[in-house]
Amino acid sequence: MERLNLSLPLPCLKVNRDGRIVSYSALAEDHFDLSKAHIRSLVDEGSISKLGRISSESGPVPVKMELNMKTKKNPLVLFDVYLQWDTENRATMMFVQKDRSNEELIEKLASIQIRLASTDFELLEKKDELEQVLRRMDELSGPFIPLSDTLCMIPLFGDITADKINAISDSCLQSVFRGNYEAILFDLTAVGEVHADGIDKFIMLVKTLNFMTGNVIKLIGIKPNLAKELNHHHLDHWVQFNHSLKEELSTYLHH
Amino acid sequence: MTHIEMLASCLLEGDPDKAWACIEKYSGSSKPDVYHNLMTPAMRHIGHLWESNEITVADEHLATATCDFILSKLSFGSEKKPSAGRAMFLCLDGEQHYLGLKMVDSLFREHGWDTRYFGPSLPLEYAVQTAEAWKPDVIGLSVSMVYHLPQLREYAEAFSRLPEKPAVLLGGRLADLYDLRPYCTGDTVILRDLPETETWIRHHVMGGQQSGTTEPIPSSPVFES
Repeated sequence: MERLNLSLPLPCLKVNRDGRIVSYSALAEDHFDLSKAHIRSLVDEGSISKLGRISSESGPVPVKMELNMKTKKNPLVLFDVYLQWDTENRATMMFVQKDRSNEELIEKLASIQIRLASTDFELLEKKDELEQVLRRMDELSGPFIPLSDTLCMIPLFGDITADKINAISDSCLQSVFRGNYEAILFDLTAVGEVHADGIDKFIMLVKTLNFMTGNVIKLIGIKPNLAKELNHHHLDHWVQFNHSLKEELSTYLHH
Repeated sequence: MTHIEMLASCLLEGDPDKAWACIEKYSGSSKPDVYHNLMTPAMRHIGHLWESNEITVADEHLATATCDFILSKLSFGSEKKPSAGRAMFLCLDGEQHYLGLKMVDSLFREHGWDTRYFGPSLPLEYAVQTAEAWKPDVIGLSVSMVYHLPQLREYAEAFSRLPEKPAVLLGGRLADLYDLRPYCTGDTVILRDLPETETWIRHHVMGGQQSGTTEPIPSSPVFES
């Protein structure tokens, strides 16, 4: 292996048919670790077969190919490699490192993709948070209020949805189970919209309470839209409709 | 031109609409089938075109970005099911080949997993931090370039020290080409391709420890129904 006496502006190697490096330019020595004196040691694993095939297929006409090379500074750098065979069966190879601006663009593209991905996570995290807040709100929309040893009240706030009724059912049933209530009031004054699946769940809750206590459940503060919905279900056995909390309370307090 | 070559050429043109139309025309029924039998071979074909000196790395990047877009579109809107578990997916630091990982992420989500997909090049420190905070049941790693292999052991060891002992899965182009066991820990599960990954997910649902491909490669009758 000898050093070329030409002063060349690019790294340059001369290689024989076996891949052995015969001579090298000054810049080639600067860029590459030539201690193994073989072209294989300079080419990335994934580019070796490419180099092998293309160089063996080419003749005296120069060919250009992209190869990933191992340099002294970096284990993987993309080069344009120009190769030409001469009459002595030696290939002259010149190496032009790929334009950095290309790399910058690729890095920018990658960073935008990463940002998109992380924005996606942030959105997902916010969604999780929001779901938790909504669940919490549902839980707080049906507080259990013991008015006396025998009378309790559960006012419902907001829209009646299946999720909301599910969220309050558990604590409601447990509170009723722990006490000894003769009357259970649902105050529906503050109810907004009514969803069909919400009503189904609500009626299930009322029936369960009825089975648990054996008492009639009282619904108060029913607005027309709710009355219309409830009318579809035959509730007479389980519930009693009363006009207002005031009336109900006065009955019980004068008892 | 085969369907695979057709998709490859749409991806190389950087035309997501044409690529999408090409995928819609494909008769394969399930997403895993599309991933494994159409998109992966198309990307392999693109790699082959580079090896035959017909395209440049810049072309490959365009095809990758287009394929990435198609993958996002394909996996978007899969209905959220009750979570089968949590899984996070990442490439080793410096590793830029992430499409296979993204397909695996999508596969897990199809099976009802809650996932976090970190894409290319995630530094170990950040990966460990996330794993400690989020406590995944599964950590999926991908490696495609030989010179990233030395880091693999470091990653695998760091994950096996996590208190929750997540299952560590390893895939990527190299998993199919070489025996990677010397580069990871004893309990790392090596999965060579998507069908093997899907088999693993199915077995995991049924419970029990699994070893991945330490034994002869099972023939893969995976996407049968």
